[in-house]
Amino acid sequence: MSETSIYGSHLPELNNTMNTILTEVTAVRQELTEKTGSDPVEHLLSRIKSEESMREKCRRKGLPETEHSALADIHDAIGIRVVCSFIDDVYTIRDRLTAIPGFTVVDEKDYIKKCKPNGYRSLHMILRSDNGFYAEIQLRTISMDVWAALEHHMRYKKQVNGNLPLLTSELKRCADELASTDLSMQTIRDMILEEGA
Amino acid sequence: MKLLLAEDTRDLNRAVTAILKHEGFEVDSAYDGEEALSFLTAGSYDGIILDIMMPKVSGIEVLTSLRKMNDSTPVLLLTAKAEVDDRVSGLDAGADDYLTKPFAMKELLARIRSMLRRRTRYSAEELHFEGLSLRSESLELAAENSVRLSMKEFELMRLLITNPDKELSTEFILNQLWAGEPDAGADTVYLYISYLRGKLKAVDANVRIEGNRGGSFRLTKA
Repeated sequence: MSETSIYGSHLPELNNTMNTILTEVTAVRQELTEKTGSDPVEHLLSRIKSEESMREKCRRKGLPETEHSALADIHDAIGIRVVCSFIDDVYTIRDRLTAIPGFTVVDEKDYIKKCKPNGYRSLHMILRSDNGFYAEIQLRTISMDVWAALEHHMRYKKQVNGNLPLLTSELKRCADELASTDLSMQTIRDMILEEGA
Repeated sequence: MKLLLAEDTRDLNRAVTAILKHEGFEVDSAYDGEEALSFLTAGSYDGIILDIMMPKVSGIEVLTSLRKMNDSTPVLLLTAKAEVDDRVSGLDAGADDYLTKPFAMKELLARIRSMLRRRTRYSAEELHFEGLSLRSESLELAAENSVRLSMKEFELMRLLITNPDKELSTEFILNQLWAGEPDAGADTVYLYISYLRGKLKAVDANVRIEGNRGGSFRLTKA
């Protein structure tokens, strides 16, 4: 560990802030599991951005490598990804996270409702705690997550062999097909719940 | 199978209608082009038989406005022997076949059967309704956002978008899309309607599908 962290002495507060949000996710999971019999969250990832990648991000953005840059200018020192089974779960959890006491939503981008031109789908949200810490939250379904993983792999591969425009448009097609399947699965699930009611 | 017959010669119209009914078709009979259009606005057919020479609105005009509404129902034209230009303009306007008068009833029936069997549906590359688009080449449904449909979803969406604002019965939909599939029933149709409802919502379309399980469905402006 470096002696002078870019987060100064705020690492414990960052951890507390992250845990408060994670506690809320856990609470929703428990409630919905009791209500419907299935866990709405497939997996949950969280991290405090590492010293090294935070410094790298400061440099990339042309910001000084300071506590202020890391905690106030950059908003993903805390990063949480909630991967849900169904689309409706994404929005249920979104609604709960926006209502956590002591936090405000400072930004929300719904790339599910309107996907990025490359096909990327996810719901992004920046929360700010009353004591001034930011957290970036990404909510998506499993199939959106699978797609993002492959797209990430392709984008960061040094040399992509083959016809890049073709692969890009095929990835977009896959994203649209997966989105369609997600919606079909939601419809089937709704019908199962409806029949059981 | 439901047919529309538009023929202004009363005796011929009555005779053909009687024979078609005898063959097991359901038939609506119109005596001029205007009446044919009002039948077509109100309902859907598996096939249409149009006389070209009709008072008020000609058969070609009926056909042209039908295709303009994205309606791809197969059309058989009835023409007089001398009217070569009419037959050409009829086929170019989107007719599937023609028969010259006078004709043998046996041949008319054979041509109707062939037309229904082929269902060579005249299809536009891209269909539109109220800001919603459906692309046949990519099976893409798009408004604000886009998704890819499965083949059956696409076929159902195409049936709805080519019959906008019309009531399509569950039976008609089954007959069009699931003919020869005994396991398909009202629940199948309803499930696919539900898929499309979810997808129309996801692309933020300004249209919706009205109707309930087992009943009639209608694509309309939201």
